Amino acid sequence: MPERIASERTALEPTASERTALEPTALERTGFVSVLVDFASELRSAGLAVGSGDILTFCSAMSPLDPSDLLDLYWAGRATLVTRRENISVYDEVFRRFFLGGADPIPEMLTLKAQVTAEAQAVLEVPATDPADGGHDEEATLGLMASDAEALRHKSFAACTPEELAAVRRIMARIRLTPPTRRTRRTRSAPSGRAPDLRRMMRESQRLHGEPAQLFWRRRRVRLRPLILILDVSGSMADYSRNLLQFAYSAKRAAAKVEVFCFGTRLTRVTRALDHRRPDDALERAAQTVFDWEGGTRIGDSLDAFVRDWGRRGLCRGGIVVICSDGLDRGDPGVLAAAMERLSRLSHRVVWMNPHRGDNPNFRPSTLGMMVAAPYIDLTLSGHDLSSLEELATLLPKLS
Amino acid sequence: MDCPETVGELTEILRRGGYLADRGLATALFVSLSLQRPILLEGEVGVGKTEVAKVLASVFGRKLIRLQCYEGIDAFQALYEWDYARQMLHIRALSEHQIADTDAVDKLFGPKFLLERPLLEAVRAGDQAVLLIDEVDRADDEFEAFLLEVLSDFQITIPEIGTIKAESPPVVVLTSNRTRELHDALKRRCLYHWIGYPPAEREIEIVLVRAPGVSEALTRKVVKAVNRLRELDLAKPPGVAETIDWVRTLDFLGETDLGAQIAEDTLGAVVKERDDLDVVRDNLEEITSGA
Repeated sequence: MPERIASERTALEPTASERTALEPTALERTGFVSVLVDFASELRSAGLAVGSGDILTFCSAMSPLDPSDLLDLYWAGRATLVTRRENISVYDEVFRRFFLGGADPIPEMLTLKAQVTAEAQAVLEVPATDPADGGHDEEATLGLMASDAEALRHKSFAACTPEELAAVRRIMARIRLTPPTRRTRRTRSAPSGRAPDLRRMMRESQRLHGEPAQLFWRRRRVRLRPLILILDVSGSMADYSRNLLQFAYSAKRAAAKVEVFCFGTRLTRVTRALDHRRPDDALERAAQTVFDWEGGTRIGDSLDAFVRDWGRRGLCRGGIVVICSDGLDRGDPGVLAAAMERLSRLSHRVVWMNPHRGDNPNFRPSTLGMMVAAPYIDLTLSGHDLSSLEELATLLPKLS
Repeated sequence: MDCPETVGELTEILRRGGYLADRGLATALFVSLSLQRPILLEGEVGVGKTEVAKVLASVFGRKLIRLQCYEGIDAFQALYEWDYARQMLHIRALSEHQIADTDAVDKLFGPKFLLERPLLEAVRAGDQAVLLIDEVDRADDEFEAFLLEVLSDFQITIPEIGTIKAESPPVVVLTSNRTRELHDALKRRCLYHWIGYPPAEREIEIVLVRAPGVSEALTRKVVKAVNRLRELDLAKPPGVAETIDWVRTLDFLGETDLGAQIAEDTLGAVVKERDDLDVVRDNLEEITSGA
């Protein structure tokens, strides 16, 4: 009976078997709660979204459990304070530092001992985590400068001065991306359709003394397809990648559902980093997330990772995948071909933007990567200047 | 229902129901039961997320109410719906007999014409039920908003009737395969637990519990082979459900050993992707060798 437990036992009363070992005073109880609160705020400063309500849940979760049992402490905290898998490693690290590190202030009255509970797994394994890299500082200064937008439109990003780039970015922020639509399984009321709208007919008929005088219909709703941007940020794409990220940022704000990934040697999801409102902050955060900024390129492995970790779970199902890369792959072309094949099967359409294509209409892919990927691409664009990004924006709605 | 007093007790109860929970899962479930909070389970495919709810229902003798989510599911399929056909007939009957007073009209939107859908059913059943909201990530994200009131207050508001509240809340288990990120508002109302692959020894135990009667030696070999498969970097690594299937298949065929030949013949029980089959076939000797 849960209520009974909650009401009869106060916050930190030990279980019957423990009562002989440790009889906490009121002081110790408040002390323990403050330890839990400290731990939670430590998690908060490590980047986890821990609200006061979560801390409250954590503390009440500990009440039926044994506070001196590290395993209980660990799992109760993990179940109440962590809400997504990516945060588990952060939690582990903070937990290890806070409760097992020794250096941090833990009140002496709390002698933590891992207890062996009869049948449950008794070894607490906090997996080792990579120390978080500080990341690279990305300066994305958007100076105010008057510039001739038309001239900029056809100037390759690689040839732009920083001031011109700033202007380009401001224009870019105004490009509206509208992905193609698809019909969903949801329905809405409509003047004509396939299924009758009984709910509405019922409502209308009440006004006419129960006479169903008029027929109403339901029709399937139409929705925007998700847009997935996979951006190459490796050395060979350095001149374009920052602009592409800026582009990704404005795309994310404009279209309904956009996911953004960056890759160099490995794939990183930056969608969350781009959630910040100011573009500078967003870019800064995104840059910190991508560890291999301007490193080497492993397109095949990165796309393979995308298909495995995200694509298979349905992230790009029925969506438009836009890959921005020059196709200079240092990995195995077989891997790239296999990944592209699966990607084309998982998603609705695949668009490849290759800045090296430039404005040349007779462009033939010269890199092995591009050649291998070509059969699975629905549309190739250049993406090296503003006009080509606008071209993407125009072509996108027609990709259904 | 008797709520267990300790984590160990809950583990034991679940074990009797045929489910072996590790310490993490048992603690999360224990906290969820004591605090009466919904629990959100995420994890690889086939590690027994849905099974948790089924076992909870059976060991505590409660009714399992399952809401399978799918794209396009809406409030009328999850919460409640009015029985329009009967309402219309009722109106006709009323007008023919000239008895359409206010009382009769009120009845039109009374419990008599209300069709229960899983969430309303669970709220009405209260602590007699275990509510399983399965694969919530399959529903589109607007749908999550319908769940919020149920998950935080265990109540449903029907404009025509009022608010229906569970006297004592049901146990609520949500599962997700992470095909998309769930909304924070939903996550905040739940406890969260990630279920991973169990260690080999535990997996052997699980198989023996779920498939009683199979030989332990065979199970040991299959689990070993499945663990090698998981190391192989497959597109879809086999889950515990696949291990159980494989052992059952081999047992049904009367096999006592896992040789390369029989492994290849029965591979369909564990590997369900063509690309993966190629990889596995190339390494079949190695996979079954130490087994």
